[in-house]
Amino acid sequence: MPDVNLTIDGHKITVPAGTLIVEAAKTVGIEIPVFCYHHKLDPVGACRLCLVEFSPGPPRPQTACTTPVSEGMVVRTQSAMAVQARADILEFELANHPLDCPVCDKGGECPLQDFTFRHGYPTSRIDGPRLHFKKPIPLSDKIALDRERCVLCYRCTRYYDEVAWEQELTTDERGVQSFITSQFDQPLQSIFSGNIIDLCPVGALTSRVWRFESRPWDMTHTATVCSKCSVGCSVTLWQRRGQLVRITSHENDEIDEGWICDRGRFDYTDVNDPSRLRAPSILGLKATWADAINAVAGGIKGRGAKLGISLPQDITNEEAFLFRRLLDGPLKGARVKMHGRTAIPAPDAGRAQGSPQNLMRIKEIDDARVIIVVASDLENDVPIVDLRVKKAVSKHGAKLIVVHPEGVDFDRHPGTVHIRNARGTAAAEVRKLASHELLKNPGGPVAILFGDGHGSEDIDELASACGDLAAQVGGKELVLYRATNERGALAAGVAGWDKLDGVQALLCWGPPPTAGIPKSVKFVAAWDHLPRDGYGQAVVLPATTFAERQGSYTNLEGTVQFLRPPIAVRPPLKEGWEVLCELGTALGLRLDYTGVTPIQREMALGTPDLEPAPPPVLVGPAHP
Amino acid sequence: MPDLRGSHGDQPHHILTRWFGTPDLHRLDVYSGKPGGYAALRTAFLEMAPAEITNEVKASGLRGRGGAGFATGTKWSFINRDAPGPKYVVVNADESEPGTSKDRYLLENSPHMLVEGILIAAYAVGANQAWVYIRGEYDEPYRMLHEAIEEARAKGYVGSRPFGKDYPLDIRLYRGHGAYICGEETALLESLEGKRAQPRSRPPFPAVKGAWGRPTLLNNVETLSTVPWIINNGGAAYAKLGTEKSPGTRLMSVSGNVLKPGVYEVELGQTFRHVIMELAGGPPEGRKVKVFWPGGSSAPVLPESMLDTHTDMEALAAAKSMGGSGGVIVMDDKHCIVRAAHRLLRFYAHESCGKCTPCRIGGDWAVRTYERILANEGSQVELDTLQRVSDGLQNGRCLCGLGDSAGWVIDSTLRHFREEYVDHAIRHECNVEAPPAASGRHLPMDREEKTASA
Amino acid sequence: MKSPEKGALSEHVLDEIKELPAKYPQPRSAVMPALDLAQEELGHLTPAAMSEVAATLQLDPGYVEGVATFYSLFHLEPVGKHRFYVCTNLSCALRGANEIVDHVKRSIGVGRSDQVSADGLFSFEEVECLGACEFAPMMRLDHRYHYDLTSEAIDTLIAERKGVGKVKVPSPPRGAINGRSARERAVLDAPGAQGQGEGLKRRQPRKKKADA
Repeated sequence: MPDVNLTIDGHKITVPAGTLIVEAAKTVGIEIPVFCYHHKLDPVGACRLCLVEFSPGPPRPQTACTTPVSEGMVVRTQSAMAVQARADILEFELANHPLDCPVCDKGGECPLQDFTFRHGYPTSRIDGPRLHFKKPIPLSDKIALDRERCVLCYRCTRYYDEVAWEQELTTDERGVQSFITSQFDQPLQSIFSGNIIDLCPVGALTSRVWRFESRPWDMTHTATVCSKCSVGCSVTLWQRRGQLVRITSHENDEIDEGWICDRGRFDYTDVNDPSRLRAPSILGLKATWADAINAVAGGIKGRGAKLGISLPQDITNEEAFLFRRLLDGPLKGARVKMHGRTAIPAPDAGRAQGSPQNLMRIKEIDDARVIIVVASDLENDVPIVDLRVKKAVSKHGAKLIVVHPEGVDFDRHPGTVHIRNARGTAAAEVRKLASHELLKNPGGPVAILFGDGHGSEDIDELASACGDLAAQVGGKELVLYRATNERGALAAGVAGWDKLDGVQALLCWGPPPTAGIPKSVKFVAAWDHLPRDGYGQAVVLPATTFAERQGSYTNLEGTVQFLRPPIAVRPPLKEGWEVLCELGTALGLRLDYTGVTPIQREMALGTPDLEPAPPPVLVGPAHP
Repeated sequence: MPDLRGSHGDQPHHILTRWFGTPDLHRLDVYSGKPGGYAALRTAFLEMAPAEITNEVKASGLRGRGGAGFATGTKWSFINRDAPGPKYVVVNADESEPGTSKDRYLLENSPHMLVEGILIAAYAVGANQAWVYIRGEYDEPYRMLHEAIEEARAKGYVGSRPFGKDYPLDIRLYRGHGAYICGEETALLESLEGKRAQPRSRPPFPAVKGAWGRPTLLNNVETLSTVPWIINNGGAAYAKLGTEKSPGTRLMSVSGNVLKPGVYEVELGQTFRHVIMELAGGPPEGRKVKVFWPGGSSAPVLPESMLDTHTDMEALAAAKSMGGSGGVIVMDDKHCIVRAAHRLLRFYAHESCGKCTPCRIGGDWAVRTYERILANEGSQVELDTLQRVSDGLQNGRCLCGLGDSAGWVIDSTLRHFREEYVDHAIRHECNVEAPPAASGRHLPMDREEKTASA
Repeated sequence: MKSPEKGALSEHVLDEIKELPAKYPQPRSAVMPALDLAQEELGHLTPAAMSEVAATLQLDPGYVEGVATFYSLFHLEPVGKHRFYVCTNLSCALRGANEIVDHVKRSIGVGRSDQVSADGLFSFEEVECLGACEFAPMMRLDHRYHYDLTSEAIDTLIAERKGVGKVKVPSPPRGAINGRSARERAVLDAPGAQGQGEGLKRRQPRKKKADA
């Protein structure tokens, strides 16, 4: 459809057809205040704050958030009527709103404050008692609800219903008695609950983890990449005085569209743990870096297959590259186990999976007409991809087929076709799908998402079946790796799957293995940020956390994203790549890099990688 | 028959109520007898093209009788009959406007008239299924309508081949559960879909995206009940009655301080003096009419001096009021206007769905202000607040008409009876004799506090 | 049939609810008639009942709770066997509805609408317009309307339900229901399942005492 020309407050602009007035106004820097409108939710025109006049049009003002532009439209946001309507609505919103600003966490980044200042009446005419509720209500152990502050914009319940397909958050009663509540006052369970904090335009929904900790103007922030799973959502990390104070979302339409899951949002308090390790130690006694690294080198050198290396799920590409060099050199033959990975091999690792052209990016889910999810509980493994699939189904009308032994959250949608396979038979079910009703004439791209069923499926069979299905129905595959940098580690060849039983020396990069340290181990070297049992008998190097780490991750679709840590690494802590270089030197391998960038340059040139590798992505500006 | 409280019998303007009073008129065999029921359905189905039916309704000039008064034929033509996929007719039987009981009167006396009208409408707009959304409190009308539909089903009028034609027709019932807002079109559709009944933003309009996302025709009970007569006698004949822009007749429920409250069929254009003083017998001995609501509590009030206002939509608009639901509430000079307004604002605040800010907050704020005034704690500030709230509720501020109606109660009573407000707010006295209407705080200021009464 | 645990629904009601979604173009529409069935059985909606309705319809309990609390006819607290829904909106108030409410409160011995009389039989509520303004003052009691109320009429209705005095079929309303026989106008069982064609479906009747 052709673009539309219109005039807003005298500015002549041209925008794509279908643009809402409120968005069109933003293109010339005109703010039309909104509460209930959010660009990721269906517009409802509920709060009435965005009333504007436009002609040609009805004689009464209309909401800018529900009205798309039309050719030749003249919009006035500053007419006497519109200005007064905004001030009146704000006054109504404030009629019952408590005077909590000094104790409210939203202060400083609060649209209600900002709009009242910019668009509201300068003095209040409210002289009566306000409506009271018990407050704050714990909606979960992470989120607090203050019903007196709530302006009933319904963003939270609409988000829950439209985006997450859940209704554990609901509105009770009606009229002025309405209030937001969790079902039967039970704590919220959803892994997607935290986004309501970002959505809430006032201080009604706040993070209990961050409660009363800092003011927005005290913090600096960077946009970086989450380190909790393979999706690689963009997040904003906020720091103050060297502490990671909170995490909020950062919109990246390629991957997360502005949503993050609760793991990414709330799992950060370990960064500020006062018991964090700050100095190297040998057998429980403080040591210098030089001594500690030499001790590590001495303990792991020349062990061959008697050396076990445990790698974390969020090892960076650069660290993985360096490990590869060590494993090709002085640590040759060591057994390697990477945490949290799936059983799925690297794409195109010499199997009949299909060429890279059959692989898809996350955002291609939007355009799929049929989505097939196999052997994966998306909600827990790759949560934000789960939301993207839900969006494609409910807003774009995609059809959904699920192959999984148990019930999944997609079952809430009456149109979902759920094939409950017996464990281990997913590949066979996938092969049958070629003749499925819905795939006869999909009418567009088919997306095939498959995981490893947490080990219950023969992954080679399954990968092959999915590849064949893709070829048959014109589909593309999204392979659901689970570990944060599983894909990067696979590319570097360090995503090990070896058993660590029987090794005599163990090098733990990151937290120790969940299965525990094998009994046969005599020497333990650890790179970790928190003290654990048994570290009194080990050589321990104090690690950086994800909030200080430089480097890059490769997410499950193959996008390489650079991290932007908000907290600088200060001595005595050292960067991970730096420690690996020193360890290499101590082991007799010259690893001579001056920074992360030279490592990346060499990686890009040298490592035979996925082909073609998509270009690395800078994630937002850095404000360290 | 004398025990009917309303119009019945053979009079030239008794389009709807002509046969009321006939024993067992609610039964199909009686309805199809002398009253000639289902002849219109047969004609429409077998002898007319759907577009012809719509044109006949257009020619009649019939306007929606639920409250908005939109031209019915035009509304029918908004449904694209040829669009693929199901379409629905939804009947608004949620009658909850204070002072209005005409739909109940129709349902209890002649449910088949509605059934016939529904089937004709469905055929005209290309729908095969109709849903009647009936308020939950209407137990008896529900039962009677259900029986009527079953009789029609037994006769084959509702079923897979009415009159042998391959055009299935079905009517289903859905009960409301106590929410005035469900009388609003899009809120009704939300309720029908099993949700909290909050109105939708328009566009899209129900004719494009209505019940369950499908094109939907929404009409009031009385509107559809008029259709059989129009088909039988022609749209032009209907247009001969009433006024040019408000043709025909409508049922007006008259209640309050009158001697003969009832549901009266009135030719549009008659005066309110005729309706209130003649048909309904006027106020009791020794009292005078003080004020009346011409179209349910949502219509701006008119004082006694405007009794000669005509009942057609144009005349009412000129009088700064509206036809609304046709529910005429009459209050005599022994009752206090401020208390009446307070009671009505309590109603609107209680029924507000809570979706849009001005109605949700403004209604409650107005009630609390009225309570301060009635508790003799008022001043000029309270009067200003009432006016300010009223302004904030009108002219597109709210998402639906409920807010506007609340605003009109305040605005019109202030305009016509300012002295009484001043008596209460400034002089702290009430100069009207009768005992007070319900007072006291209606909603708790503290959610933890129990209410005095719901 | 096993007796339902306190606050939960019996088998046959759950079976009826299971059949509801198929009657509507989209299954969510079944939630209102399902809640109605649950309330008919239990007298009011308990969290257990709402959870069962939710589970049966494959909805979140929160959703069901949100719907139930929106509509005035759904009660989430006990309401006693007979509830006086007395209209006090304008037309009825102008004809003495408030005095009727006062009389009801005195006669059944409660002061507020969230209270139930000591014998568990009665409660009341001031409601909005019931659509029978020509019969004002009027009310709804036991699924039917009662017109032209007076204190005496209220006393009679209470006495009948207490089992004091002769039990008789309440006299039909004067007026609007034209020409139907007294038997036809007798008090009906409460409407049961919702949806098309279900208005009079007789469920397994509860054990009845000697009242209407």
